[in-house]
Amino acid sequence: MSLELTVNEQSCRGCELCIDICPTKVFDLDSEKRLCVIKHPEDCIACLSCAYICPSNAITHTDYHAVKNFYRDAEFCKRMGKYL
Amino acid sequence: MEISDKRLALQDAMVFLGAIASGTEQAIGESANSISYLAGVNLGKKMSEGVAHTSDIQEALELTRMVLEKNDYLWLFETFKPHDQESIVKENEAGTEVMLVFRDCMIRQSLFRFGHVQKGSLCNMMYGFFAGALQNIMSRESSLEIIHAGENACYKKLIVRRAE
Repeated sequence: MSLELTVNEQSCRGCELCIDICPTKVFDLDSEKRLCVIKHPEDCIACLSCAYICPSNAITHTDYHAVKNFYRDAEFCKRMGKYL
Repeated sequence: MEISDKRLALQDAMVFLGAIASGTEQAIGESANSISYLAGVNLGKKMSEGVAHTSDIQEALELTRMVLEKNDYLWLFETFKPHDQESIVKENEAGTEVMLVFRDCMIRQSLFRFGHVQKGSLCNMMYGFFAGALQNIMSRESSLEIIHAGENACYKKLIVRRAE
């Protein structure tokens, strides 16, 4: 699985919310274009906070591990049975 | 018990746990974190009983991961190396530092699902679990700071203090 991260330049408004929220400093601001750019894609941990906070839905992640909604995961419930 | 019943029971248990944690935090404030932390330490020590001893942090983390997996705990994690760091492990004044990423976490998923705040007492239980397990495995004190609680992953800083 190799994570891919993209920013849609036409949607980005340069609000910098993604820059502020990213814990691993993946983004930077292109001050000329007033747009957010991806500076260190290798540091993205796919926490998805940037995608959730972006007001214009400009950020997309593909090919990442989506967390299990564990109580709806039959296999996990089976394993957790011993605690119930 | 049928799997669908187990699923419902599990969901109920986590709703209940989230509500207790949230209520305790409201009632007694930050002390709730200490109580959960200590509960986590006891759990970590108990679960890691009989695990091999090592002074290597990466080996100790692997052993902790095995303890979690063996007990069917959905708290799996991976080490993370930022681009500006030469290796996964970093030595500083406080001790040995490793950044960890937690993905599938039953605590995070429950808290988000039911609208409770992150980084509270249940997260401190996880911190306690690591502290307890690493006390057994490395005989050293540690801290697990939550740098970021994201929707799909959490980013934490583990510091294993120097042996005195």
